[in-house]
Amino acid sequence: MINLDLYAPLMLPKEELFTSGHRACQGCAEALAVRIVCKALGRNSIVAMATGCMEIVSSPLPTTAWQIPWIHVAFENAAAVASGVESGLKALMRKGRLPHKKITIAGMAGDGGTADIGLQALSGAMERGHDMIFVCYDNEAYMNTGIQRSSATPFGASTTTSPAGKVKAGQETWKKNMPEIMAAHGIPYVATACSAYPIDLYEKVKRAALVKGPAYVHCLSVCPTGWRIPSGDAIRYGRLAVETAAFPLYEVIDGKYQLTFDSPKLKPITDYFKGQGRFRHLTPEAVARIQERITRDYEKLRAKCENVNK
Amino acid sequence: MAEAAIRAGCRFYFGYPITPQNEVAEYMSEHMPEAGGTFIQAESEIASIYMVLGASVTGARAMTSSSSPGISLKQEGISFLAGQELPAVILNVMRGGPGLGNIAGCQGDYFQATRGGGHGDYKTIVLAPGSVQELVDLTGVAFELADKYRNPVMILADGLIGQMREPVVLPEPVKHLPEKDWALRGAKGRPSRFSRSLILNVRRMEEHNWKLQRKFREIEANEIRFEQYLLEDAKLVVVAFGSAARVAKGAVKRLRKEGLKVGLFRPITLWPFPHKKIRELANECSEFLVYELNAGQMLEDVKLALSGSAEVFFYGRPGGVIPTPMDVAKIIGSRYYQRIKRKAK
Repeated sequence: MINLDLYAPLMLPKEELFTSGHRACQGCAEALAVRIVCKALGRNSIVAMATGCMEIVSSPLPTTAWQIPWIHVAFENAAAVASGVESGLKALMRKGRLPHKKITIAGMAGDGGTADIGLQALSGAMERGHDMIFVCYDNEAYMNTGIQRSSATPFGASTTTSPAGKVKAGQETWKKNMPEIMAAHGIPYVATACSAYPIDLYEKVKRAALVKGPAYVHCLSVCPTGWRIPSGDAIRYGRLAVETAAFPLYEVIDGKYQLTFDSPKLKPITDYFKGQGRFRHLTPEAVARIQERITRDYEKLRAKCENVNK
Repeated sequence: MAEAAIRAGCRFYFGYPITPQNEVAEYMSEHMPEAGGTFIQAESEIASIYMVLGASVTGARAMTSSSSPGISLKQEGISFLAGQELPAVILNVMRGGPGLGNIAGCQGDYFQATRGGGHGDYKTIVLAPGSVQELVDLTGVAFELADKYRNPVMILADGLIGQMREPVVLPEPVKHLPEKDWALRGAKGRPSRFSRSLILNVRRMEEHNWKLQRKFREIEANEIRFEQYLLEDAKLVVVAFGSAARVAKGAVKRLRKEGLKVGLFRPITLWPFPHKKIRELANECSEFLVYELNAGQMLEDVKLALSGSAEVFFYGRPGGVIPTPMDVAKIIGSRYYQRIKRKAK
């Protein structure tokens, strides 16, 4: 069998649309995600980005890492601005002021700008059915402002506003299931991805761009700084998140679920937690509780995929 | 500030991450549960101000903190707090704007803070600390004033004070909080109470507005605070607030050593603004210099207060630039020589 892992990277476009020289932390897997997403989007696209790590590191005046049109707005409204850009271009093309061509509109935000403050604008954009992609770079906390919890922070993780101490043991709520919320909007394409699987991420964004109507890609982006791991281990932990089903990879195409990474035997969650400073305080009881929940959620997801195949 | 709030009896803190004030939320997340209170990180600034409103309507002491863009989002809630006459404390650690701006210290939110900020005819009491110690002290004052007048109180600090580390003397914890006969706490055995700001009948709405205005006049009569520094024989008065005043104080001290008769007037309450006091200063002195970390906002209040009775010169640095006392001393000094020495000749 041909080892696709060896050849596939050669197929990616060489052109860098999110260039080096930005100020992301060493080993940032989110910057890698943006780089791959931009390759998939191509030159003929416009990015509307919310405030967050990627905005701050990529655009300090007078420099920029962006080689494609890019607009930054406030924290809560990347999806709203992307909606406006899409509507504006549509109107200009309809009136003949712009030639008809395919321009891919992408909204981008972190987990805070997607699952917390940006959710209202995102839900509106998905419901109205704008022809756009929304990419959530999920590093599981507000890393830009100093590792505060978000609703995408996993249960048990210690952050600066969900500190593990005598009274509380880190984050006390479960990670908000954003892809599921987006799928519930009945949009044509929803996918989860991780920059530890770059080819998979590239393909998913490509597919999302080809879809007519709104598409949503939720990309787990390992944050060595915030997760308290060595900066060389971002890819390893991204893979572990998928292999333990802490973050399963799947697609929902027109309501049909399909796992894009399925292992007959999942690794135990302890493999993923081991070495992550944010989970260091967890007791065996808490780990067992999390394992139980992850197994249950994964079974549910598998059942959804199987139902489709029947 | 966070510890001072807990000691002032605040048991509810609702926040949302924004630089340069995350330290408050982080401290609260650790220490509020220990004090038996509640820390919640909301999903947005709008949610956090309405959580404050919800806690306040039960009679509890509640607060939120944010920085300029976040405070803009909270304005609707602040208007509702004022309309429903609910106490609350809001800390604004101002940063450079407009838009997302930057995260440096700035005083660009003066207008927004002192003119009400949100929609409708209302005012928030605005306290401007000039040091970390004063931030601690004014936190207690803010909770007292909020309860006394049933009105939101804003502490207007900036990125400089927000990121400064200084030793402080903390106040003793407040033991007894005032009784609140308007709080919503379940109506078993008594008629139920209401809290609202929707009054469709225009006459009753007008009456409600006049009632608020009477309260604001009362605040103006009783709560003005300011600091005077070396004003006795001053020929030129520097007017500045917050961290700008601290820089200005250094400049004035330096110039005094060189024999220039300059003094500093520092409003501590920005609303109510010490109009009357500034007007009185004009009897002794005809030269004023307003120094702000913006393009000229308090300047308008100083001009209103003086109503043409003295010359007003402005020095402002918007966008987060913070000049040194030496820079400010040069500006004050050159103005002093231009106007006062020349006149003397």
